[in-house]
Amino acid sequence: MKILVIVEDDPDVQFLIETIFSMDPRFALARVAESAEDALATAQTTEPEIIVLDHGLSGNLNGLEAARQFKELAPQTKIILFTAHAELEARTIDEPAIDAFLLKTDTAGLLPLAQELTDMLSLM
Amino acid sequence: MVREDVGAAEAASYAKAILNILDDVGEERERQVDSQRAVLNILEDIDTEKIRLESTQKALLNILDDLDLERGKVDRANIDLREVNEAMRGFIAVAAHDLRSPLASMVGFSSLLTENWATLSEENRWKFVSTIDRQSHKLAGLVNDLLTLSSLEGGVLKTQPELIVLGEAVSQCLAASSGDTASVSVSCSSDLVVRFDPLHLGRIIDNYLQNAFKYGEPPVRIEATQLGDMVEVRVLDHGPGVPPDFESKLFGKFARADVTSTRDKKGSGLGLSIVRGLAEANGGQALYRPNIPNGACFVAILPVGEGPPR
Repeated sequence: MKILVIVEDDPDVQFLIETIFSMDPRFALARVAESAEDALATAQTTEPEIIVLDHGLSGNLNGLEAARQFKELAPQTKIILFTAHAELEARTIDEPAIDAFLLKTDTAGLLPLAQELTDMLSLM
Repeated sequence: MVREDVGAAEAASYAKAILNILDDVGEERERQVDSQRAVLNILEDIDTEKIRLESTQKALLNILDDLDLERGKVDRANIDLREVNEAMRGFIAVAAHDLRSPLASMVGFSSLLTENWATLSEENRWKFVSTIDRQSHKLAGLVNDLLTLSSLEGGVLKTQPELIVLGEAVSQCLAASSGDTASVSVSCSSDLVVRFDPLHLGRIIDNYLQNAFKYGEPPVRIEATQLGDMVEVRVLDHGPGVPPDFESKLFGKFARADVTSTRDKKGSGLGLSIVRGLAEANGGQALYRPNIPNGACFVAILPVGEGPPR
């Protein structure tokens, strides 16, 4: 099973991501967190294979800041920055903590991207 | 010839020569006077030319000063344009983000419905459709706000001012607004009449109320008083108020203070910008004052209405 953590503060988008991942039984949802702080607490006890991370979040940390802390806690975890901030794509190119960037409107690409990243992980 | 005759002839010849010399001297003097006059004329011309050149030089210096002044203005205009461009880029980035957010749910759930209709439970189908419905209304609201703001900034928004009994307008607004409007107390004399576009007035009061519900704390109160030829409407709450360093940005586009109390609140951030635009388009003002000792006080200053109300 591939452990999934969703970090998203919009309930409708949370539900959407949950529903998309429920289509692939290999993913097991460990936590849906509204803030990065809550998700980091989860990552301390359970190392997720994949984190779907929004940028603008409840709490004090944004997605980019949180990604660095996730990688320190769980270096093997793959992180997808799933956001409506298109302007962040350029910044994520030089950000090693982000494994992939996906615009929120490209929902059809989310599951294939997560599958690809976690398949890479299982080959390592 | 005899010696005497020779002497006389020589003398006459000398005298003639002397006369000729004197004539030449006279002519030479005249020439010199002429030359002197010419030189004086030239000197006068030079003086005139010098004055003309000095005046041209002065004019050129003035032109250079003007050019410097104009260049300063152009430099300042360039800086202003760069700032406007930067603000516009920021505006577009935020607008694109806020438009994309509801679209994400709409696109995602409609795709799930289209591709998995047969296998989805009826409950899930209903959940997906109601989410699409909710997010499409959110998107429509945001697009409308952007269009209103665009009309306001372009100076093309039409106002249809009417005489309005303020107390009645406040009651109607409270009845139509969402949130805990029953707990809102109102202090407004029944004879207060304003001249304002009724739709715009409703939008302003509703926006202030929703801000009080969203960012403030109860009790929420609406007060109105006449001050000369204007009427001041205040919507007060008892929440944390607006941070002092954010007050100047409060009525700007996509304004949302980045403090813990607002970070988890969703809103377009266009509301107060529209409120100010609508107030000014109707000859009024919109402003903020702290509600001492704690809370926010949002103020709309409206032109008083004269004559019988509608």
